[in-house]
Amino acid sequence: MNALRRHRALSRIWASDPGLKGWFTTVNHTDLGRMFLFVATVFFVIGGILAMLIRAQLASPRSAFLGPDHYNQIFTMHGTIMMFLFAIPFFEGLAVYLLPKMLGTRDLAFPRLTAYGFWCYVFGGSMMIFALLAGIAPDSGWFMYPPLSSTIGAPGINSDFWLIGITFVEISAISAAVEITVTVLRYRAPGMKLSQMPIFAWYALVTAVMILTGFPPLILGSILLELERAFGLPFFQVAQGGDALLWQHLFWLFGHPEVYIIFLPAAGAISTILPVMARTTLMGYGWIVAAAVSLGVLSFGLWVHHMFTTGIPHMGLAFFSAASTLVAVPTAVQIFAWIGTLWKGRPSLHLPMLWLLAFFATFVIGGLTGVMVAIVPFDWQAHDTYFIVAHLHYVLVGGFVFPMIAALYYWMPHFTGRRTYFKLGNVAFWLVVPGFHGTFLALHWAGLLGMRRRIDTYESGQGWEVINIIASISGFVMAIGFALVLIDVVVNAVVAVRGSRDPWGAGTLDWAMPTPAAPYNFASLAQVTSRDPLYEDPELPVRLARGEGYLGDPGRGRRETLTVEIGTGAPRYIVVFPGNTALPVLMSAITGLFFLGMLIKAYWLVPISALGVTLCALLWVWGLGRPAPEEALPVGRGLSLHTAAEAADPPGWWGSVFLLLANGTFFGSLLFGYAFLFSIAPNWPPPAYLEPGALPVVLVLAGAGLTFLGSRIGTVVGQGMAPVGLALIAGAALPVLSESPDPTLHAYDATVWVFVGYGLLHCLVGMLMWSVVMLRRLSGHSADTTLGAMRIARLWSDYTLLVALLTAAAIGLPGVLT
Amino acid sequence: MNAILRLSLPLTLWLAAFSAIYGLHGLLCSSRWAAVAPELPGRVLLVGATIAALALQALLLAFLRSPRWPQPDAAIRRVSMVLAVAALVGTAWTLIPALAMSHCL
Repeated sequence: MNALRRHRALSRIWASDPGLKGWFTTVNHTDLGRMFLFVATVFFVIGGILAMLIRAQLASPRSAFLGPDHYNQIFTMHGTIMMFLFAIPFFEGLAVYLLPKMLGTRDLAFPRLTAYGFWCYVFGGSMMIFALLAGIAPDSGWFMYPPLSSTIGAPGINSDFWLIGITFVEISAISAAVEITVTVLRYRAPGMKLSQMPIFAWYALVTAVMILTGFPPLILGSILLELERAFGLPFFQVAQGGDALLWQHLFWLFGHPEVYIIFLPAAGAISTILPVMARTTLMGYGWIVAAAVSLGVLSFGLWVHHMFTTGIPHMGLAFFSAASTLVAVPTAVQIFAWIGTLWKGRPSLHLPMLWLLAFFATFVIGGLTGVMVAIVPFDWQAHDTYFIVAHLHYVLVGGFVFPMIAALYYWMPHFTGRRTYFKLGNVAFWLVVPGFHGTFLALHWAGLLGMRRRIDTYESGQGWEVINIIASISGFVMAIGFALVLIDVVVNAVVAVRGSRDPWGAGTLDWAMPTPAAPYNFASLAQVTSRDPLYEDPELPVRLARGEGYLGDPGRGRRETLTVEIGTGAPRYIVVFPGNTALPVLMSAITGLFFLGMLIKAYWLVPISALGVTLCALLWVWGLGRPAPEEALPVGRGLSLHTAAEAADPPGWWGSVFLLLANGTFFGSLLFGYAFLFSIAPNWPPPAYLEPGALPVVLVLAGAGLTFLGSRIGTVVGQGMAPVGLALIAGAALPVLSESPDPTLHAYDATVWVFVGYGLLHCLVGMLMWSVVMLRRLSGHSADTTLGAMRIARLWSDYTLLVALLTAAAIGLPGVLT
Repeated sequence: MNAILRLSLPLTLWLAAFSAIYGLHGLLCSSRWAAVAPELPGRVLLVGATIAALALQALLLAFLRSPRWPQPDAAIRRVSMVLAVAALVGTAWTLIPALAMSHCL
């Protein structure tokens, strides 16, 4: 078969549906990556327009351009959009588009999950924009501190939009993070060891794990605050045993890692682009990997530095001040490695390189002001002033937006198949960068002169007028520059001439394919032996197109790729991907109804949509795998492999492991919140601790034993025992809740209800999982092809048992001990 | 998975120790706990926990170097050692306040 016939055969197998239908049924990562990037850019434009409204308002003292109500909505939505609807999804889009190509595989691990996450993002984001247009947008600041965001401070629906809309959007982030983690670990080109991965993959892996562990505290906080707002569960009401500071802890447990979740992908793009622009290889690959991992973990030990003014004891302040200064070290390691890379190479000043230079200047300033605010006495002076606004914009715009524009220009030939021709981008650069510094460098001084954040107007005579007019004019110059970048991209994408396959002379596999990319990425999969396969073998793209790699024969007529061993990259299994389907968009729409029901308090819609989501999920999993095992199948280069459907650790098992990591962080945050209220909240202990007696303990222990044993018996009988055990555990909820019938009385009662609700949900899902496994066996699936599903159900059950035992201890022990 | 464990353990141990000692500090300064156990030697507990954290990091570093935990990929081995040293230094740096500051002021 020649290359052209192979291309046509593979295109028939992998192509999305034609026309409008294809937009809704595609599960292809190239399509979805582009769609993510497009939608994130639309949100960036909306967030940018809001920023200009803010600068118009603050340009002069006593401005009447915006009233305080509108101003509060606008600055809240500016931060919310830029953080949740632009920065994170833009990274997701870039990773969704690039990772399979850089790793030398054909798609992400779970194509339907990619689509589901995308549609959740679109629907959740649209919900937020609707609120903005309707004038009922959140108005309590992007960090939603209670009591300002509680029903006392915000009685309208505004805060509910934030709490429910952002939680909906976060499904997308968690989905993408699971997807990226499993893809990087298991879906690489054969032979690609961990230490040979493209550096962007390392950053994506660290970022994805950070999302899995950073987002759950915020999801928990949002749920608790919404429960308080909707049903009166007083988690943040001091008079009833709650504490508003709990929100700040949960929020910043997410919020500080969030800064690095935004910066690290940009650093990944820099580490990829810079060596190519400098016509050399990356200096200090291992050091950069170590720095990325360090930043990822250290960032979780900094959250209290956002709370230095909340009255925390000095030793606590000193812990977090020390940790905050420590984080400068791995950041500096990266900066020096990049400078070293420039030093050893021969940099050429193409447009992506210009943006990287802007990154260096801006981010280093932002990093240094970050060290300043890590020092407690300085922070006490600068807290909640425009110094902080300026600092965070230096870090986020310098550390994310500028590198992402560099990435946009670097990979634009890949997206479009055209070479960058028009030079509008250079003009845009010289508007954006000076405009940015004119805006935010000036605002440092406004902050030092005492200008507070979030004020909608100010009096004249405080020395802020000149600074603000400079900032506003510069801000509009910057906005014109960003508009020119967008125009430049669109014009180049539409009318520029066709370009060559690897216009920059890069060495990574993303350039080993014709551009724009075919839906299958690679006609055959490469055997990789170095970090820069194209430098080692410039003929590799041609050989892959000829089908000389793995899976070059499309004869089986289905979407196939390979999984590999995590460490060595040795080929393990063939994975058969699902075809085009509208199931993800349907399921995300029904998920949207669930959140909408919560939002508009149409609670009848909530169980109905939950049932709908469950039915979609059942449809989703029912089509997976095959009833009977297949023989080992030839994959090319003399190798034969089994399909992942017969594996004990199929991709779904790995996905479940990482989903449980996020889930475990959620539960850990709940335990932390409980311990925090128990130790710190003013109005504790509650009037009475729960004393539910022996019955729930017996039910939990008997259920745990039955589930544990049943899940380890590989027969249908065992698969029947496990859900019965989970039902017994669920039954323990009744006597517990009957002892604590009113969760609105005290934060303790409310916490008990949340613990029990969380456990019940897990029991129900576990029972459902075991029922599916049992039904598959009864419908004729062999033990071999059900093994993976059974292990996934066992994983979930084991986690549920752990949750049940910890919940029993957390709820029961205070009553027993006091 | 071996490689991922090697890379993730050192700083995760730092994070666990750092959070636990911050939590311990919170408990020791809580009026509720002071009522339960007024005679608890707070400083001794904090310093003891800090020394235990440092000892654990040193042990992990030694274990990562030992042939009992082999790693065929030399690059991964080097990076994990760098991370273990970083975690040890990070533990010392971030827990200095346990030795030097008044704990409930």
